[in-house]
This record gives sequence, structure tokens and C-alpha cells, in this order.
Amino acid sequence: MKPDREFQTLVERYVDGQATAEQVAALSERLRRDAAARQWFIELLNLDSALAAVALGSIAGMDDSDASPQTPIEITAADSTPSPTTTPSTSPAPAPMPESGSASTMFFRLLAMATCVMALVGGAWWWKASTSDFATVRGGVGVEGLADGRGLRDEWHEFDAGAVELVTANGARVVIEAPARFRFESAQRLHLIEGRLAADVPPTAKGFTVITPTGKATDLGTTFGVDIQQQGEAEIHVFEGEVIAQSAGGGQRRSLRDGEAFLLQNGAGASRRLRTAAFIRPEEVGSMHAGLKAGQHARSAAALAKLRQDPALIALLDFESRELTEGSFGIAQGRWPGSRAPEFANVGDHMKLDVGGSREWPQLTLAAWVRLDRLGETFQSLLHTDDWNENKPGQVHWMVTRHTTMRLALFGNTLAPNSEEREDFPDSRTSVLPEQGRWMHLAVVYDSARRTVRFYLNGAFDKQTHQATAHTARLGAAQIGNWDRQDRKLSGRIDELVVLGRAMSDEEVRLLFDAGTPYR
Amino acid sequence: MPNRDEDRHQQFLRAFTTHEPAVRAFVRRLVPSRADADDVLQEVAIVLWTKFDEFRDSGDFRAWACGIARFKVLSWLRDKGRDRLTLDSDVVELIAVDSIRHEPHLQRQRDALETCFEKVPSAERELLARAYQPDTKIHDVAANSGRSVGGFYQWLYRMRQMLLECVQRVLAGESLS
Repeated sequence: MKPDREFQTLVERYVDGQATAEQVAALSERLRRDAAARQWFIELLNLDSALAAVALGSIAGMDDSDASPQTPIEITAADSTPSPTTTPSTSPAPAPMPESGSASTMFFRLLAMATCVMALVGGAWWWKASTSDFATVRGGVGVEGLADGRGLRDEWHEFDAGAVELVTANGARVVIEAPARFRFESAQRLHLIEGRLAADVPPTAKGFTVITPTGKATDLGTTFGVDIQQQGEAEIHVFEGEVIAQSAGGGQRRSLRDGEAFLLQNGAGASRRLRTAAFIRPEEVGSMHAGLKAGQHARSAAALAKLRQDPALIALLDFESRELTEGSFGIAQGRWPGSRAPEFANVGDHMKLDVGGSREWPQLTLAAWVRLDRLGETFQSLLHTDDWNENKPGQVHWMVTRHTTMRLALFGNTLAPNSEEREDFPDSRTSVLPEQGRWMHLAVVYDSARRTVRFYLNGAFDKQTHQATAHTARLGAAQIGNWDRQDRKLSGRIDELVVLGRAMSDEEVRLLFDAGTPYR
Repeated sequence: MPNRDEDRHQQFLRAFTTHEPAVRAFVRRLVPSRADADDVLQEVAIVLWTKFDEFRDSGDFRAWACGIARFKVLSWLRDKGRDRLTLDSDVVELIAVDSIRHEPHLQRQRDALETCFEKVPSAERELLARAYQPDTKIHDVAANSGRSVGGFYQWLYRMRQMLLECVQRVLAGESLS
């Protein structure tokens, strides 16, 4: 039952804070004695709240039919973790649990919680500080035309190389990696037609929405990634928090929790494995930018040029050639803006190569820049020769094990007595886990005469393992990223692979890392 | 037991995030402005967390939170009521009781608003959204839209009435099918 016009006006004035003392008193009186009027009042104020919630997630004219030709798919993410701004690390690694000091830990959590809750309920104080720009460029790596401090409004941006970090007016931190095409419709709505995006969404930016060619993603405060694949379908990866995805054509809403990923297809979708390495996160951009500014790209090129002159070089793959090597893999950006790196994402993805011929190598150095996904209980193949059998002792298998350490296995080699290895092969000591999702440098040096295997992580010597039997190394036909005979998949990118027929010294490995690192 | 603290913390945040819009809407019906609701909700959130150990997992978080929010609103009315134009506290109690009774219906109305909001022509939708941003100065929004302040409030009234009717129509349609 709709109440009289006079009462409606009274309520409307009260809702907007326009009512006088007499009007508020009159309203009280009417609400006290008239249940139907009270019901209408409750519904209008209920609408006021709902309107405020909807408005937070949408402030501009939205429809962009040319950009989203298909029925949108909606994803809603619900935060179940403290705000990224109050979490010490936003990397997907579960923060190590403190062994003791639970009282202070509890205090910290409470503090973080209170901050988070206050931010949640306190509304967008960011808004006050914001300019009329929807977002501001806060950093980047090699993107032309999007300089630091530039404000973005409702216009398209496109870049083929690099990555850009943006902070929206509501405080969401967004990194977009090339090749990319995007446009902000408002501080809370971002169109992404092409590219990869990682977002840290604090409670102040609750409702932040990414619209992709196959749908839109509305986030309620979490960290997540969106990867638009070549077919235009978007993959949603949830690093922390909770996401509810809805397929086009009125599909079921689907909840994705921490560590889950989902491929959005028109009218359907499919589960995917989380790929942490696929996304450049906000915390990575600063050191990549500093690395580029410091001239790392040129240093790397110079080091590679020198290495190409090394008479012992067997192979140096930088993957920049447009002629693709045989195999099944994608191409993503390498360590430098606009550079190329093969990316292995699907089961069975691999790259074939045939290096070293039938020669035997008394010494061997293998080195690579890789960006690995966190896979849990599987091996990640770096280089697996095909002929792993007793007729070919010395065949090389190089990988990251399920214990997240590096392994160099040569067929027929045996460990020296009293080796600390848990299995039958030389393994590195330090876990690569903290580096997963970032570029890291792996190297191993084998010397059959000395019967040693020396491991290096990010240029630093890690460990030496002695072998009792040490065959000369054999290469030949091999695969990167997979081994057909057992589950040896690589999930991530590999940017540079060096195969050298001599033993590099500790200093040489360190210099190789120093020259090649994209970080500062 | 950091693990248990962590779990509890996660449980709380999950529950709070899930029910926060409903609790916020509940508080909003009892206080004069959305900003007042924000103030009260901030205090409510802290009480909810400190008392979360008393809350049983099998319980209804929303009802529990609304119960605490009701007390917080009443004490807020006592403290701030003299400086503000608030409804009488007995009326606020009546509204609270009715609100809790009709919450499922009100929840459906809030859900339906999204559909109705999308139907508003984009220019007006944007204006409405601007008027509803936190800390917006209505004077500025009105000026930008080329309306007088009084004219803008009139326009807001009409929009809300239209949306409320739309929401009611959507729910009526749902109950038929």
C-alpha cells in the first residue's frame, strides 16, 4: 500500500537530511501509529542502503557493446582475508606460521582485523583524497605513453610491451601486462580486452569490476588475476579471498576460493589450475622498473653476446626468434618489455630441441631464467633428454623436484656414500618456493672428472654433491617442459636457456645472474 | 595456537563480509543518515569480533549481529540523539522489530535493486551513482548536473520512488512464476 504524498515527502526529506525538527517529530508520530507507513519507510531506507552499495561498484555509463559482444559473465569476489594493505605480504605463499609468540601474533591480527573492518565500514576515505581521475599510473616497466603520475579517465589505452601499475581512486592496485588494451569507465570499472591483470583490492575498493570480452568480474576485496587468452576467453585466478563467478546465459553462480582458477566461456566454464607465475604482481613492478632504469636489459644483451662467442657453447636459446621451435606452448612476455618467452600452461605443453648431438661432454653447465607456478606435488621439467636408458649412460635430466629443490640426474650415475639426498639423484638444498611466481635464475655445473654437481640459485652457490659413478654427459633430442614417460610438466615461463660444454666457475655464474636479473 | 586464531579470524571475516550489507542496511533504517550508519557499524564490527568467541558456529550470524547492532544504535541515540534530528527511540525499536521480521523480503528487494538499477538510462544512472558515493557533496553533484540543489533533491526523490516501484514489481513477478 502506497502512503500519501505528504508522508512520502516527509520520508524523502528525512532520508536526505533535509527535514526540520518539526518534520522529524511528525515522522516519528506517524511511524509510531501506522504500521503500513512504517513498512513503506523501511523499504525506502532499505533501498537507500542497496543503492549506496550498487553505486559504489558503478559510477559511469556502462554499456559498451562493441567491447563486450557476448553476454557478460559476472564474477563476485568476497574478501575472506585481511586487506592487502594490512597483510605483510601479498604473495601467494602462505605466510610462515610463527612458532611462538602467539600473544603478539594475536595482537597483530586483531590490529590488522580492526583496521580492515574499519576500512570496510568506514567507507571510501580514499574517495576524499581522490582527484577526479579514475586511476593514476604509479609505476611501470617499459610502457610508453603511460608516465608515472598520469591520471586516467574514460579513454582506451593500448601497449604492446611492458607492464603498468595503476592505483584506482578507491585504492585498488592493478598491474596490467602487455600486450594489453584497456579503458577505465570509472574508478570501479575497468574494461580489459587484451592482456593480463593482477589486482589487489582493499575493502575501500569493494565492488571493483573488470569487464572482459567474455564477461565481467566484480571483486569485493581480494587479490586476483585475469588472463585474457588468445581466443578472448578470460581466466580468473584467485590468489586470496573468495570469488563468485557466473557464466553467461544465466548460468549458476560459482564460488572460487583461494588458489582456484576458472576459465570463463560463453555459457559455460571450466576449472583451471592456478598459475601464479602468469601474473606480474604489484610488489614486483617497482624492482623491475628499477632494473630497467639501471640498464639491466643492455647488460643482459651484452652478457649474452659474449657468451655466444664462447667456443664451448652448445646452445643459447633466448626465444626471440619469430620462427617457433617445435612443440606446444604459448608465448608470453619475457623478462624485458616486449621480449618473448615460451609459456607452458596446459598439460602436455612442451618445447622440443635437439642440441649437443651424439657427443659426450665431460663438463656441462645448464642455466635458465624461469618463472614457475606453485604446483605442489609434481616435478617441473627444465630439460629432459629423450633417450633415458641403459644404452645411453650420461643422458641428462634437469628439473625442479616435488620437494621444490633443483635436481640434475644423469643416467647411470650414483651418489657418493653418505650423501644427504633423499632420493637417488643430486638435489640442491635451498627450496625455490619463495621465488615461485617471480623470475629466478637456476644453474647447475657438472664435472665428470671431479665427479661433482654444483647447484646455484639466483647466482649464489647452493650446494655441491659428489657422485660415486659419474658418466660423461649426453644430450641430443630433448624436451623442455615435459617428459613423455612420466609426469614431468613445467608450468610457467622460461626466458633463456644456456647449455655450455664446460664448467662455469662460481664467479661466472654470479656474473651471469647479475647481468641477467630484471630486478633491482 | 596460531592456527586456530587464524581459522577463527578467517571465519569471522567470511561471516562478516557475507552479512555486512544486511547489517549495514539494518542500521541504516534506524539512524538518520548513511554516514551515521557507517559510524555505528564501525563500533558494531569491533564488538562482533571481540564477542565472536561467544557466537556458536551453528548460529545465525546475521540475527546475532543485528541484535548487537540494535543495542549499539540505541546507545548511539542516547549519546548523539540530542545533537541530531533522530526518530524517537520507541519508534526506532518498532522499526528494528519490523525490520528483523521482514529481513528475507528486504534482502530480496536489495537483490532486485541491481536489476532495476541496470534499467536506468546510463546518464541518469551515473548521476545517481555519483550522488550516492560516500562523502559526496550534493551541492557539487547538483551543480555539475546543471540543476539547482532543490531541483536535484526532487529528482532524487523521483528516482528512488521509481526504483522502489520497480523493485516491488520485480518481486511481485517472482512470486507469480
